[in-house]
Amino acid sequence: MIDGLKTMLPLAWRNLWRNPRRTGITLIVVAIGLWSILFFNAFMTAWAKSSKETTLQLLLGSGQIHAEGFMDDPSIETLMDPPDQDLASALDAPAVADWTTRVVVPGVVQSEYKTLPATIVGVDPVAEARISSIPDRIAEGRYLSGSDDDSVVLGLHMVERLKTGLGRRVILMSQNAEGAMSEQSFDVVGIYDADKATEDLYVFTGRAASQRFLGLEGEIAQVVFVLQEDTALEDAVAALADAAPALDVRGWKELNLFLASMDSYMGVFVQVWLGIVFSLMAIGIVNTQLMAVFERTQEFGLLRALGMKPRRVLFMVTIENALLIGTGVLLGMVLAAVTIWSLSDGIDFSAFARAMEMVQTGEIIYLDFEPGAFILFPGLIWLLGILVTLWPARRASRCRPVEAMRRET
Amino acid sequence: MPPIVTCRGLSKTFGKGELAVHALRDADLDIMPGDIATLAGPSGSGKTTLLNMIGALDEPTSGEVSVDGQPLSGLSRSQLSDLRLSKIGFVFQSYNLIPVLSARENIEFVLQLQGVSAAERRDRAMNAIKEVGLSGMEDRRPGKMSGGQQQRVAVARALVSRPKIVLADEPTANLDSKNALELVDLMRNLNREHGTTFLIGTHDIRVMEHSMRHIEMVDGRIDSDARSSG
Repeated sequence: MIDGLKTMLPLAWRNLWRNPRRTGITLIVVAIGLWSILFFNAFMTAWAKSSKETTLQLLLGSGQIHAEGFMDDPSIETLMDPPDQDLASALDAPAVADWTTRVVVPGVVQSEYKTLPATIVGVDPVAEARISSIPDRIAEGRYLSGSDDDSVVLGLHMVERLKTGLGRRVILMSQNAEGAMSEQSFDVVGIYDADKATEDLYVFTGRAASQRFLGLEGEIAQVVFVLQEDTALEDAVAALADAAPALDVRGWKELNLFLASMDSYMGVFVQVWLGIVFSLMAIGIVNTQLMAVFERTQEFGLLRALGMKPRRVLFMVTIENALLIGTGVLLGMVLAAVTIWSLSDGIDFSAFARAMEMVQTGEIIYLDFEPGAFILFPGLIWLLGILVTLWPARRASRCRPVEAMRRET
Repeated sequence: MPPIVTCRGLSKTFGKGELAVHALRDADLDIMPGDIATLAGPSGSGKTTLLNMIGALDEPTSGEVSVDGQPLSGLSRSQLSDLRLSKIGFVFQSYNLIPVLSARENIEFVLQLQGVSAAERRDRAMNAIKEVGLSGMEDRRPGKMSGGQQQRVAVARALVSRPKIVLADEPTANLDSKNALELVDLMRNLNREHGTTFLIGTHDIRVMEHSMRHIEMVDGRIDSDARSSG
């Protein structure tokens, strides 16, 4: 067997180059096909990762804890007390990287020119900086200085719509703890730059300041937590739910269904692409290999006449195909690795910033070299390629020597 | 000594009904060890068909062929391959060498199919090359050789596996006079020195002159079978 392979491999390699043009075309088809799969996989993975990280880091966190009913009716009537000892202990577990509490109530924000609906978010700026990317997205002015800071940070787009600006004052209005309307004037000290939807919705102020404004006695709307590893999400949610059975503990997959489905279906997109590319490749490969077998009919007849058994002819042609597709696969891997490596500093989509916001993705997509994909997809293409070329190989092996040798090609 | 090849009542018909062509009709033939026999006759007389039947390349419509005592009927395709590999050598009109292999590799190829070790393959191939007078050309590919040289490689390939019989179909048809004569001499010498049995289908009078047995075919029948003093 080994001796047979040692003889067959050089023969197969030389046979491949009998028609350099056809071999070249097949190599290009396989290499570009595999390159597109590996690149598409790397891009989609990076895009999904960026989309997920951007969304989770913005405000969502790995998960949130609310009072029962808050998710259906996020109002001042569905607030909760700050975490008790049991919940605080669970939140201090090693799996949880950080956590903070927020006051979140619906309200309106009013300038001299316009009144807009808004979600007023009271935060602890120090803890928030460890959880959310908003403090890092200040485009003008500053972020909040402390929980007692009774100024506001508005989104860029909301500022434009309100026709207000840094140093001006806006009025926040919301229902207070007693069911009456509270309104208070706040200084605009900072303007943040995020996606348009976030900018239009969220107004940030200090947590203690918001509690005073709403007449609360320490109540909060949510606990936001960030995990060390996303893979521990389900266990962490279960542990927190155990620690606070009366509260509604949800991971990000329940809080943002779009993001969750993007995360789950990313693999499916790549598989669909793999299917399309492989089908096209298979048509090309089978056609060229059928042509190659047809052109060499006389030779296969000779081999059979000399005493080569049908299964050995099948083996020989299969080795040729394995070598051909294997070479194409190697080329595709090198091409993909070089492409991914050369783009490892990130693909800058800032020219399409608004479009990227719509799909909740960062402006720069960082491609990662994923060793698993470089084993799985090339292996799959190689094996499937050999499988489809078994048909032409079988035709070659089943030729009748006397008829095959008579054929002029 | 039993014959190497026995044909009894061998017939081959291509097509059916009114379109049927009777390429071979009720042929009986024995080829004895050491024979160098020519199979002559006009085109369409059945020479190639008979050679194909004896070479286990085609199946007769009726009748039986035995090679080295082994009846061919009932053998599977794989068993027929084994029989061709071990007992029959072929030389074809158009040489039919594998273009990507050198002369030596073409000769070794058959030995490789037989499972002969690499060292022995090389020795036997080099000896065969020497015997057909191509020493120094072992690394040339067929494309770099003349027709006569290619046919010598084909003869060496046919002989290297030490077959019971070599079947040659019009081996000199594509060669000029000089190369044709050299090939005939070569086959004659191999027959004389090693007792190699040859059955040669040919139109070539020079080949017939050197054979010890002359079989004439007409319309698919063996018309005459005569031995000469050689």
